[in-house]
Amino acid sequence: MTRTRKPGISRRSTLALIGVGAATFAAPWVARAQAKTIKIGMPTILSGRVAQLGTSSRNAVLLEVEKINAAGGLAGRQIEMVIRDSKGQPQEAARIARELVNTDGCEMLLDGEASSGSFAVHEVARDLGVLCIHTCSEASSLTADPKQHIPNAFRCVRQGIHDSIVGAGYAAGIAKAKGLKKWATCSPDYAYGRDTTGEFVLYLKKFAPDVEIISESWPKLFQPDYTEVVTKILQAKPQALYSCLWGGDLTSYIDQANIYAMFAQMEVFAVNMADYTALTVVKNLPKGIHSGDRYIKTFPPTPENAAWGDAYKAKYNEYPTNWSWQNATAVMFLSEAVKKANSTDGKKVAEVLTGLTIKCPFGADGTVTMRADDHTLVGYAIGWGTTIPQEPYVPDVKAGDWKAIFELEAEWKKSKGYT
Amino acid sequence: MTELQAGQGAQPLEVPRIDARPQRYRDLLVALAAFAVLALLPMVFGSKQLLDFVIRCAAYGLFATSLNLLVGYTGLISFGHGMFFGLGAYGFGLMMQKTGVPIPVAFVATLAMTCVVAVVIGAICVRLKEIYFAFVTLAFQMLIHSTILSWQSLTGGDQGLRGGIPRPPFLGIDLSNHLHLYITSCALLVVGLLLMRQIAQSPFGYTLRMIRDNATRASFIGIDVWRAKLVIFVLAALFAATGGIIMALFVSGAYPEFAYWTISGEGIFINMLGGVTTFLGPMVGTVLLLILNDTVTRITEYHGIVLGIVILFFAVGLRKGLMDFVVEWFAQRRGEGRG
Repeated sequence: MTRTRKPGISRRSTLALIGVGAATFAAPWVARAQAKTIKIGMPTILSGRVAQLGTSSRNAVLLEVEKINAAGGLAGRQIEMVIRDSKGQPQEAARIARELVNTDGCEMLLDGEASSGSFAVHEVARDLGVLCIHTCSEASSLTADPKQHIPNAFRCVRQGIHDSIVGAGYAAGIAKAKGLKKWATCSPDYAYGRDTTGEFVLYLKKFAPDVEIISESWPKLFQPDYTEVVTKILQAKPQALYSCLWGGDLTSYIDQANIYAMFAQMEVFAVNMADYTALTVVKNLPKGIHSGDRYIKTFPPTPENAAWGDAYKAKYNEYPTNWSWQNATAVMFLSEAVKKANSTDGKKVAEVLTGLTIKCPFGADGTVTMRADDHTLVGYAIGWGTTIPQEPYVPDVKAGDWKAIFELEAEWKKSKGYT
Repeated sequence: MTELQAGQGAQPLEVPRIDARPQRYRDLLVALAAFAVLALLPMVFGSKQLLDFVIRCAAYGLFATSLNLLVGYTGLISFGHGMFFGLGAYGFGLMMQKTGVPIPVAFVATLAMTCVVAVVIGAICVRLKEIYFAFVTLAFQMLIHSTILSWQSLTGGDQGLRGGIPRPPFLGIDLSNHLHLYITSCALLVVGLLLMRQIAQSPFGYTLRMIRDNATRASFIGIDVWRAKLVIFVLAALFAATGGIIMALFVSGAYPEFAYWTISGEGIFINMLGGVTTFLGPMVGTVLLLILNDTVTRITEYHGIVLGIVILFFAVGLRKGLMDFVVEWFAQRRGEGRG
């Protein structure tokens, strides 16, 4: 039998290609036709070094969305989350955010990006006018800087400046009680590390004027070996050390510093220690490290918070992270705002969100507020305590005073030229 | 890749035509036709995603094709070409944010600045060969990336240029309008490709191929190899910077990731996908990579594995880029037809 098929693209392949092409371009119309559900888009980091944080954000969002959908959805519309990986690249974050709105028909965005990615998504929100809640970026300038302000964007995240004020107040108390005058710092060498450390030192000196910084170390972000840094600090012989290393960097640092018995020689203040991702990974967690709360289910010490932490653990077989509670809170805000606005229209929801106070397991007094003048989260549980090597890891957390935070934050904003 | 290996993989040298004008007219016609097709796309398809896709193709396509001027035509494997992409984005963004000059002025000034930087870096790098050239370009890229991260007061550090890039209208073009941005990006892409094509087909382009194949012979017949390499290094930098400007306009900002080594890596990846022996290889590679990236990241977060398998298929299976394969296949078929 002779073969009759001619070389080249067959008719079937051509038809299939046309079909695929038509489906691609018809997607937006199909999406619009299915508007019974409400789609919420979420670019976040699901691959690479901080994938664990992105995954924990997704988990928390899905946990909350499940509850809302079971209770009837947002204004009667079931929520469908469309979550995509940006790989932590701002250009990808911007592309995905645009695609989520323009093609997938998402009516709102939860921005699960860190640092530069969140600023890229912010520009997309500015351009498209879509309602956007940032849920992971702690950079204060995202909402404090009036140049960034747009009516449709909010930030449901803790802030570096709040942590520094509370941390410095707590550290100054211990410094005075124990006579800690010689301090060293060791933080990652990028904007977050430099800003947060600078602000902590500023307020520490304000509360305890005797304090003197005798050594500064700025290891690179994601540096694998800290021997040089540890020996430099030990040689300087400070009485106390401040660090805002985080995640894998912090755990590697502690494991390596343990070899030199560093924690027996000085008081250590590591703002990002009290997060399960760090607490459960460190091989020998030293007793007595001072840390800010990131997320632990025992602070705020309420049954609601403990129940939320347990529910998350039961579903995902691991504890939530700092990003988890922030994302969960953002979904709670959306749900409450839609209820009040009685509409899923982004503009109306944004109006209600401005200045909205909701009940929340992560609130310092059981509530959190989306501050009206800068669209940022306030009133969340914030405090410092000391670690123990087993659960509950940080048994006694001293809560920060929000009144003092507001006063000093206002001064800080003025000094930065933001107000 | 050594010069010898580069020579083995390359097409035999064609003798340039004495009268290059017909070829030039043909290129111009192809460019005009391509621009017309691109400009008509938004009228046929209403998809904003498609326009975004073409804008990104313009940014990466200019970047990857300019890299091919170095890799494919001159045999200079640059691992640091992404620094010019980043410089273009930052230069343009800063100019628009800080000075408020009209967009065309900022565009030209950014290219002028890139030119100066490329001359300085190129003068040092092009003296070196092979792996030494590759690593010194990478070192300069990391230097520029570190500078962007550290010079917070100017660049915003790791948070990038914030607050959006102002885009005041000029000559009736408003780049904050999506369609205007699309048409402008297409125009920059087509003009950029046309210019690069002219460079590649000019006597200078053939000089570069000769340097790639045998630099010693080129210098013996009186070619100043260092100068020729420097000129193409600077020209390639200018086109890469143009790609960076398009990207800055697309995301309305500039971020340190634009000047990171991964961007250079993507450029090399694109060239491997599309092929380095044809002029349009990198452009085809760009379209392929972006389609792959956009579809695979939709489906799975393990996109690294999928992209890795694809590159393995091209590197180990085909042993060449897609365009190289297609061109060879056509040549073979034509040969068979004649036979």
